[in-house]
Amino acid sequence: MRDAMLTVEHVDKSFPVAQGPAAMLRSLVGQRIARRQVLFDVNLRVGQGELFGLLGPNGAGKSTLLKLLATLTVPDNGRMTIDGIDVQRDPIAAKRRIGLCTSDERSFYFRLTARQNMEFFGALMGLWGKHLKKRIAECVELVDMTEYLDARFGGYSSGMRVRLTMARALLANPGILFLDEPTRAVDPVHAEDLRRLIRRNLVDGAGKTVVIATNLLDEAWEICDRVAVVNHGRIVALGPPKELDVDLGAVARYRVTLDEVDDDLLQRTRTIPGFRDLRIVRTETGVDLHVEMEPREGSLGALMRAVSWDGAGLRDFRPIEAEPVDVFKKVTLHDGGR
Amino acid sequence: MAVADAGARAPGLARVAAIFRRDALVALSYPGNFALSWLAIVIEVVVVWYISRLIPPSPKFGSTGVAVGYFQFVAINSAFVRFQSAALNSFAESIRDAQLTGTLEIVLATPTQLPTLVLSSAVWSFAFTSLQTGLFLLIAIPFGLDLHHVNLITAGVFLILTVGAVSPLGVLAASLSMVIKKTGPVEFISSASAQLFGGVFIPLRMLPVGLQIVGWMLPITHALTGFRAAAAGVPLGGVASDAVWLLVASLVLMPFSLWVFAKSVQKARVDGTLSMY
Repeated sequence: MRDAMLTVEHVDKSFPVAQGPAAMLRSLVGQRIARRQVLFDVNLRVGQGELFGLLGPNGAGKSTLLKLLATLTVPDNGRMTIDGIDVQRDPIAAKRRIGLCTSDERSFYFRLTARQNMEFFGALMGLWGKHLKKRIAECVELVDMTEYLDARFGGYSSGMRVRLTMARALLANPGILFLDEPTRAVDPVHAEDLRRLIRRNLVDGAGKTVVIATNLLDEAWEICDRVAVVNHGRIVALGPPKELDVDLGAVARYRVTLDEVDDDLLQRTRTIPGFRDLRIVRTETGVDLHVEMEPREGSLGALMRAVSWDGAGLRDFRPIEAEPVDVFKKVTLHDGGR
Repeated sequence: MAVADAGARAPGLARVAAIFRRDALVALSYPGNFALSWLAIVIEVVVVWYISRLIPPSPKFGSTGVAVGYFQFVAINSAFVRFQSAALNSFAESIRDAQLTGTLEIVLATPTQLPTLVLSSAVWSFAFTSLQTGLFLLIAIPFGLDLHHVNLITAGVFLILTVGAVSPLGVLAASLSMVIKKTGPVEFISSASAQLFGGVFIPLRMLPVGLQIVGWMLPITHALTGFRAAAAGVPLGGVASDAVWLLVASLVLMPFSLWVFAKSVQKARVDGTLSMY
């Protein structure tokens, strides 16, 4: 087990339903302001050099969790540490170890050039002089933005803004990166480059810890060591993507290609122990059976016998890997997270 | 564990300089607005001069019992009241701009202390105001402003004390902006209080006693008294009571305002409203 770079213990978070001066006055005179709970007893442990994904539908609580870790909001209960530092007790020390890539592409000064923006944020991160200039050059190079460094940020496309946000997060060479939808609005080629940068350069190469919040299932499945599926403020699934396929999919899928099917074959298939579902897809050359079964011992053999019985025209037989979306649907729709 | 190389870590002043540079670059990126702000000074001096021609000299405009022209009185006041406006507006506007541009969260996510962030946000504004005040006085000289007897020590000390005493009001205004997301009340206070109770256009002694007490409680009243005295050549000892008032106000209000600002940021963090506007 890797050393813990990040721990989250029993964290709850709620926000007041009503905001503004009226709500403030009501709270000042002692009236209780209703609050909406957005995170419930969240527990996490992310190891040094791990690429950890937070996956969930919109409003699940992923961004709130990242903001808690980046000290931008405060938990109602619980404790969080980064590299052993209590985030609430010593936020400045914690922030020295954090690189934050927000999903808000407005987080730059539109009237300034990218270089001027980077110099400003770099100074606030504690960099200056030649070291700052060197880091800016290195970080914009990583996201393929060198040639646009002296252009005004306001003229950037959405994708360029996101890439510069990534470069800014890397400026102070932080040990842990919080990336909130880093490939959102980025074209497919640069999105792939960013994923490669995160996985190969930052995690595998530099040994950084990365926590990435994303709605993109394939992205999480492709690059993350482990994934936490967040739904309604709770972590409803946690583990390596492949293990989630097995544990949470809890279903084995096969595609059986036949010349033809008859009622007997269908009946034999439906009576296999562990049978879950069967779908018939007619093609130009024959019939595909999409069969779902519980992954029990012997069920695969029973299926093969059922479809090859009595000289049925079996042409192809192959397993269908569980798609990330199936896992995601299962844990967010069926479980409900409550 | 990788953190920013300690040997390369910026000193506090580098952060102040970065915030100053950012504000200067943003201001200069609006060249039309920047140029008009200088032109406005010329127009203001001319307007003040025309109005002052309607009002005869009076001992009420001076502090030594000698009749003083209204232009002398109001030009000094108008020039230096900018520091209060700068303080009250710049801190709050800086927060408001950061909320609107979406930069507030990312700035607060950097390992920079809150007092550095908030106090530095007015450095450009004070520097710019100093230049504008200087230009105002220069333009006013041909119109009759007498600066032959100016006591530079008194003026310098009052400049420092004024910035120190009005800045906490600006930080309190920024705290309000952090929580209620508006700067309207601040703008009202900056214009109405200074112009009426601060004695910018009307000598404080001409107001009813109740309003004089209100005026006495405002830093700008003591600041303007000091600047008028400096212009008349009064040494620092002649306005020591006003200087002490400003010093005490600075020492008391500055930590208080920073405490209130920290509380307002904490409230915004708890409520999750840092990025709201």
